[in-house]
Amino acid sequence: MRSLVRPAQYAALAFYVLFLGFPLLWLISASVKSSGELNSLTVSLLPQEWHWENYAQALARQGLVRSAWNSVFVALVSTALVVLIALPASYVLARLKGRVRTAGVGWILVSQVFPVILVILPLFLVLRTIGLTDSLVGLTLVHTTYTLPFALWMLQGYVSGIPVDLEEAGAMDGADRLTVLRLIILPLLAPGVVATAMFSFVSSWNEFFFALVLLQSPENYTLPITLKMFIGGEGKVALGPLAAGSVLAAIPSIVFFSIMQKKLTGGLMAGAVKG
Amino acid sequence: MQTRFVSVAAGLSATALLLTACGSGEGDGGPVTLEFQSLSDQPAAIEATESIVAAWNEANPDTQVEIVPAGWDGIYDKLITQFNGGAAPDIIHYEAAGVVPFAVDGYLADLSDHMSEAARGDIPPGVLDSVTVDGRVIAYPTEMQSYVVFANRGMLEDAGVDVPTGETMAWEDLREIALAATTPDAHGLGWGLSSPTAVFMAMAPAFGGSYFEGSGPDAALAIGEGEMALPELVDAMAHEDRSILPVTLTQSGTEALPSFYAGDVAMTVQGSFQAANIAADAPEDLDWVVLPPLEGPAGPWQAANPQTLSVNIDSEHVEESAAFIEFFTSTDNLAALNEADSLIPATTSAREVMGSSLEGENGWDAVLASGEYLESSPYLFVDAYAQWKDTVATPAYQRFLAQEIDADGLAAELENGWEEITR
Repeated sequence: MRSLVRPAQYAALAFYVLFLGFPLLWLISASVKSSGELNSLTVSLLPQEWHWENYAQALARQGLVRSAWNSVFVALVSTALVVLIALPASYVLARLKGRVRTAGVGWILVSQVFPVILVILPLFLVLRTIGLTDSLVGLTLVHTTYTLPFALWMLQGYVSGIPVDLEEAGAMDGADRLTVLRLIILPLLAPGVVATAMFSFVSSWNEFFFALVLLQSPENYTLPITLKMFIGGEGKVALGPLAAGSVLAAIPSIVFFSIMQKKLTGGLMAGAVKG
Repeated sequence: MQTRFVSVAAGLSATALLLTACGSGEGDGGPVTLEFQSLSDQPAAIEATESIVAAWNEANPDTQVEIVPAGWDGIYDKLITQFNGGAAPDIIHYEAAGVVPFAVDGYLADLSDHMSEAARGDIPPGVLDSVTVDGRVIAYPTEMQSYVVFANRGMLEDAGVDVPTGETMAWEDLREIALAATTPDAHGLGWGLSSPTAVFMAMAPAFGGSYFEGSGPDAALAIGEGEMALPELVDAMAHEDRSILPVTLTQSGTEALPSFYAGDVAMTVQGSFQAANIAADAPEDLDWVVLPPLEGPAGPWQAANPQTLSVNIDSEHVEESAAFIEFFTSTDNLAALNEADSLIPATTSAREVMGSSLEGENGWDAVLASGEYLESSPYLFVDAYAQWKDTVATPAYQRFLAQEIDADGLAAELENGWEEITR
């Protein structure tokens, strides 16, 4: 009986991976199909004929590469800013006691109840006043501030999970607070930082509405805006080029995740403090 | 989606001083530059638009037009923010149903005095009405679509049906042909009605249905025989005759096309622009044809919701913008644009030019003929229409087509829902 458990686990895992990966497989399949095949009742994962020209059309038609660079810039910079700001702030939120902490946490929660449609007009006016509409810098700032509250909330949970005893032990060995933070807290917080960075990156990478309203010039468009332009009025969709563009658009995100996921290790603190 | 308004404002305040130097500067008295926010999405239409703008720029060195491409998705939100933020482009591409509310709210320039008599006379009165608000022309109509019937000639002939060729075709004829073409292996008709309100609203004029009386906030909804005729006809064809392929009622028009290509249905009702897609995607051996415009008791009329070009009322160059639009909508330009977009020109002369150049290719003669029967519809001028359509009408029609409610129940839901949202 026990010998069946491991194969069953692998089978379940394989099924789960297939389940998660199937939409991507289907997207790749659609990206090399002709318009006629995509509009046929015959459904097949493997294309009848391979139409690589969808990729050429996607790359040529809508400035996809330029938009990808814009998205990479906005997502990476906003992610870096979010982590830089959230890291010390979350430590303070997690360790501080009293009214300041309560007010800080309340501030974060209250800031999340406003629907985007309510925010967009005053935000547009503020950005216009300071000359940051139609600007990647402006969009980066918006993405940073948009993601920051949840990132703070997320990271302070990780900080709270690190026993204060570890900091006190470091202090007893003669380390000052900065040394404790650098040598004890930061390494233990690495998985939390990685998770927060991934969350920030994805939030910015996929964000559509702020980019739609704030960006005017095609040279500033990010990927979600450019990909949406494959979908026209009257229900017209260039499905093959759209799928090809979506596959290409997913590559930077996949690269980022494949690099970051290696850092997502847990259990570092197991046994650090005696129960 | 949740947002973090307070944090956004705080973050921006903190960085505002550092970044104010990034603003853009103003012009210095050189040639006037007009921003033209274009929604053209098809490669050929983008090319046609660029070609028209290039011709204008070459002929008008003092008034240059710059295309700002945008997508249809989310364009209303983008425009409303641009208008309120004082950043809207000079020339705005959209559709009549979208620009009328902007005109009512005072965001669009009155183009009545800028539109030449020749241009005005070239636009059918019913189409011009669709862009006229309180007596002011607030946009030039450019491209339109109608709903037409695409038919598989071979399947109709196999069913012993003479393919209609007259100037119009009665709705009852469509019902009879669909029934005749229904076999154990195929249905007579496929009709993508996942968004039924737009279709029923557009085709109701043939039955004398107008839905609304009055305009703006004072509009009243009236559901009578004219409004119920088409939903009841579809219901009868789907559930009594069983001549409509049921699954297509839950699909979009585009999603229903594969059934037409596969020979599962002999005919399909589609937006006229699908002629180009069918020409490109249908199997080579599919002999298809566009049937004459559908005619009801009140005529072959359909509601027009043309694509439009308007001018921002806050533009410093309303006159120049109107002059550009006049050029953009000249006969040859409009014919070229519509041919590229597979749509119907909003002017009579452009329709004639397009008819001559296409010579009936891909059913274009029938498609262009259907354009003669497009007229304005009251729903374009009703404030709460969009809300009623999304929250009341579409769910009610879907429930009716799924036989969850009967015709009386449908009428009651439509009227009660209207009363609730306008109370």
